[in-house]
Amino acid sequence: MKQLLIYSLIAIVFNSCGQTQHSPTTYPEHVGDITYDAALDDKNFKICTNETNIPQYYNFGKGLQYKGEKIAIDKYFEKNFKGKSQKNETGLLTIRFIVNCEGKTGRFRIEGMDSNYQLKKFDEALENQILKLTKQMDGWIVGELQGQKLDYYQYLTFKLEGGQIIEIMP
Amino acid sequence: MRILLLSSLTIISFYDFGQPNCNVYKYNKNEPCYKGCILATQGEGPQGSRESQIKFDSAIKLCPNFDYAYREKSVPYLKRGDFVTWKKLIDKAVELDPMGNLGYRGWCRYQFVRDYKGAIADFETLDSMTEFEIGYSSNSDYQLNIAKALCYKAIGEKKKAIEIIEKQFSEKNYSPGLYDYFHLGVLKMEVGETELAINFLKKSISTNDYFAEPYYYLAMIYKKQNLTAAFQDNMKKAKAYYLKGYKRFDPYTQPMDKIFLADIEKELK
Repeated sequence: MKQLLIYSLIAIVFNSCGQTQHSPTTYPEHVGDITYDAALDDKNFKICTNETNIPQYYNFGKGLQYKGEKIAIDKYFEKNFKGKSQKNETGLLTIRFIVNCEGKTGRFRIEGMDSNYQLKKFDEALENQILKLTKQMDGWIVGELQGQKLDYYQYLTFKLEGGQIIEIMP
Repeated sequence: MRILLLSSLTIISFYDFGQPNCNVYKYNKNEPCYKGCILATQGEGPQGSRESQIKFDSAIKLCPNFDYAYREKSVPYLKRGDFVTWKKLIDKAVELDPMGNLGYRGWCRYQFVRDYKGAIADFETLDSMTEFEIGYSSNSDYQLNIAKALCYKAIGEKKKAIEIIEKQFSEKNYSPGLYDYFHLGVLKMEVGETELAINFLKKSISTNDYFAEPYYYLAMIYKKQNLTAAFQDNMKKAKAYYLKGYKRFDPYTQPMDKIFLADIEKELK
């Protein structure tokens, strides 16, 4: 009963217009959805929530949920990221992923943007290092609503200047 | 009751703007835009859903100059970290109605993208277009000149940030916002004007005693002055407030000058 109540609540939030018919279009079910890709994703990564109703990190009203808070993420990258001076590596590198109901992460997607808000391909070694470190983070807190553990979408954006991380968002 | 609270909490995050008055189009006998406006306002509920995005597209098709639909369509991309798509859409809204959207775009560039120079450019362009007040951030926390000052602080121009805040304080009819004295106090501390920093941080507490940060920064000043008892007193108060949930918080991003529990505990060791 409790579970039914929670799924109803999520369904109300995501479908409050009462639309059930989906027109064929290029839009995903929700902006930012990450669907399983056998070529990229771990097939053993468990998704507990209905795939079409995975909430965003901000839907829990708690902000970013990480053990030790956001400062722990900053310190983790300060300690582990080995940057080198690379003049052209400036812009934002965003990694979007899912935190599942066990606090594990998967379905990582990466996108670079330059200072003019245009797509940018960063140096592969730089991208790989940040992606690898992001995948190794183990402090994500499970999203909970009414005692029910849920998956959620999270992103981290790295502001890079000359190959160095100068800020991490959100 | 608990469910109602959680639903409200979640839904609040989906609504950032007031809806436009569609009757304006009806009054002007602009039927396509009236229909587009009605469609767009119906699309607000499940933000970022396919249905919602399609409705905004339909509204734009009916009323190509309807900036509100572009702006609303852009929001989920911003909140979910797709700044490339967000910027294309919000730029269109700005192009259609600069006065109505520049302040919002500037604030988002500051809050989400940390594009401080871009935000300053937007605030200054907006300011150059009007003799009047340029408005507030979309979360209502800051008058936009104060937000501009925070951008200058972020790029290292702290004295300029102070000048902007003090100029804003001198404006006729301006009542400092919830966090204005706090940021000014921190800035004064950072530029070494300690007594003024203490005054502004205390003023922040006297006007809004609902967050831990002013106590933390006061404690740090007293620590530097070797005033151990005052340091302990304020740092312990900062911790008590923090643990009660009295702290700077935003559901999407980290506010400037925010502190964390680890910062406090490190000082109390």
